[in-house]
Amino acid sequence: MTFASAPEPAVDTAGTVASVVGLRVHFESKAGRVHAVDGVDFDIRDGETLGLVGETGCGKTVTARSFLRLVPMPPGVHAGGSIYFRPHVRCSNCSGLGCDVCAGTGRLPVACGECAGGGCPHCDDTGFETIDLSRIPERQLREIRGDRIAMIFQDPAKALNPALTVRSQIAEVFSQHRSDEVLELAGLGTSRNPLLRRHVSQTTRLFERWLLALPPMRSQRRRIEQVIDGMVAAALAETQIPNPAKVMQRYPHELSGGMKQRAMIAQALACNPDLLIADEPTTALDVTVQARIIELIKQLQVRHESAVLYISHDLSLVRRVCDRVAVMYAGRIVEIGPTEEIFANPLHPYTRGLIAAIPSRAHDRGQLVAIKGTVPELIDPPPSCRFVQRCSYAVSICGEIDPELASGPGRHAAACFIHNPPEDAAELPSFSRVTT
Amino acid sequence: MAVDADVRAPAAPLAGALGTRLRRFGELTREVLRNPTTMIGLALIVGMIGMAIFAPLLIEPNTPNPYQMPRDWGALNEPPGTPGHILGTTQQGGDVLYGVIWGARTSLRLSLIVVSITVVIGLIVGSLAGFLGGKIDEFLMRLVDIFLSIPELIFALAIAAVLGPSFGNIILALAAVFWVKYARIIRGQVIHIKQNEYVDAARVIGDSSLRIYSKDVLPNSITPVVVQATLDMGNVVLIGATLSFIGLAEAGLAEWGVLVSQGQAGISAGRWWASTFPGLMVFVWALAFNLVGDGLRDILDPRTETKR
Repeated sequence: MTFASAPEPAVDTAGTVASVVGLRVHFESKAGRVHAVDGVDFDIRDGETLGLVGETGCGKTVTARSFLRLVPMPPGVHAGGSIYFRPHVRCSNCSGLGCDVCAGTGRLPVACGECAGGGCPHCDDTGFETIDLSRIPERQLREIRGDRIAMIFQDPAKALNPALTVRSQIAEVFSQHRSDEVLELAGLGTSRNPLLRRHVSQTTRLFERWLLALPPMRSQRRRIEQVIDGMVAAALAETQIPNPAKVMQRYPHELSGGMKQRAMIAQALACNPDLLIADEPTTALDVTVQARIIELIKQLQVRHESAVLYISHDLSLVRRVCDRVAVMYAGRIVEIGPTEEIFANPLHPYTRGLIAAIPSRAHDRGQLVAIKGTVPELIDPPPSCRFVQRCSYAVSICGEIDPELASGPGRHAAACFIHNPPEDAAELPSFSRVTT
Repeated sequence: MAVDADVRAPAAPLAGALGTRLRRFGELTREVLRNPTTMIGLALIVGMIGMAIFAPLLIEPNTPNPYQMPRDWGALNEPPGTPGHILGTTQQGGDVLYGVIWGARTSLRLSLIVVSITVVIGLIVGSLAGFLGGKIDEFLMRLVDIFLSIPELIFALAIAAVLGPSFGNIILALAAVFWVKYARIIRGQVIHIKQNEYVDAARVIGDSSLRIYSKDVLPNSITPVVVQATLDMGNVVLIGATLSFIGLAEAGLAEWGVLVSQGQAGISAGRWWASTFPGLMVFVWALAFNLVGDGLRDILDPRTETKR
């Protein structure tokens, strides 16, 4: 099965790292309830790059941020649906190097705690541990954030704390999620010293820091610092930053935009996450740097075998980067499928409009194709197709019933009556007939 | 990241971190040196604080209480230049120079205590209101509004009057007035800073709220407080002198406001020195901290960057 839709449980969920089911996120405003994300379903498969495209305000960022519960509530309201996430652990057979058991990824999904792999309602009959990110307690979520799911932000200049060096910001990830490993590497794995443990996870108090600065503890502290330095430098080196040992002592304002984004990527991939959410990671960068950053994300994704949710409004970029594409419009997914198919044979009129709007050599100089009309208000929307006012093929039924996302011809799905006509409709829309 | 066991530190890490700190400190120092008015203010502050700290060495302290003016009943109303009383004496035979020097100590004590108390209270209240928001924010800010609705001098006057005339009560009265400013500044800063993307980024890597507050929010919100605290080091002394001028401190205290108040009766008789020198000190003290405060604002506030 190539896409998830709510009614039938997905068959091949073993390979999915996350599935969004009927997600609804609304915002309370003075004018009414804004349905920013209104019933979104999709799967992210292990190791794939899924592009989430759509125009500004279509809900793609809210969808992505919902994964890590970053949407401020209030004014945000989680109005329904779930985000299921299947965390992986390092493959015990090959300790992360890649073997037949883990299909070369070095990682294995965690067995379900309820049925130990047998399949039960808790894990949706997959036998794998399934976590509902929208419902787990904050503490459990914090363990997932940065470790199993990481995120890269749009503007690296704003996403790095100006008051801290690059080193301390990347070291933060290790102290949150890898404190045992740090102690191990420092040769202190067996140490029961609570002070050292607190030092690694950076929860020491003031007077404890003084204790650590005294001779008996000092050498051990040095070793820990050196291990962390090494880990940070290795993380930075992976993003092809020259001279990481020097760069990590710098403050963000001393680095260029591209360097900052590399540091962000290093931080995001530091713990080898199962899922990387990239929220328009190159929008704030200039075009030459953009190309290199995208190349880097692709390379690292292949090496780490992470799944990537790539959010963008740049279709030509998505075409180059993504394995599958989901097109969002006004809080809904209108079309989802493999990239080549979407671009070769777009099913939804909106997708067609978007693809037609990509500037190409076929257009006359100075002329750009646009979709007529504007995005509808998302305040208490009526039960109709969201695209009806701008659609050239709309007929009466489009304004009365809301089309569901369902498979059309080929391997992809669209939410449009052209491909999935309702049985009792008097008049059906068709690409062959322009109605407006 | 696949952490290999053979990955080892590139260089001495602690020296590197210290180097980074020093570099930052050097940048700030250079900015200060570039601005002449800030330098003048800084020199005046260093001079006056030095005077306050080394007061017992500069002039022999009065016994038993060095903060009380000494009495030389054999030399009343002596003009400046009298041997043993370089700046003259007051009506009660107090040495004006002693008042000027020990007054600096009194003022330093007053301003340090008041500013540190108010900054701490303001930090706690403002941070709670700004970081937690909601009902707590609403409650605390209405409380702040109540305090702000009363003019600060009158409010301080009322408190000091109710509690009775003493230097300790002046400290209390000033603290009660000054904390609200910090609470508002911090709250505004925290609300502004917490919307930054790096706060989300910290949340994304699994940081707890307390940690985000202490590592991301507070360090980036603190600069306006530093500026305000510097300005208030001057303002507190100014208002403190006003309160003691109208008689809310113990009589005979080596405090500039008290001295001005006691000396003013003699001004019409030509005995200008008893009021002028302490008054000048209040002026210079307030001026110095204002100069430095303004300079710091220019350096630390990115919005004024274009001015230079």
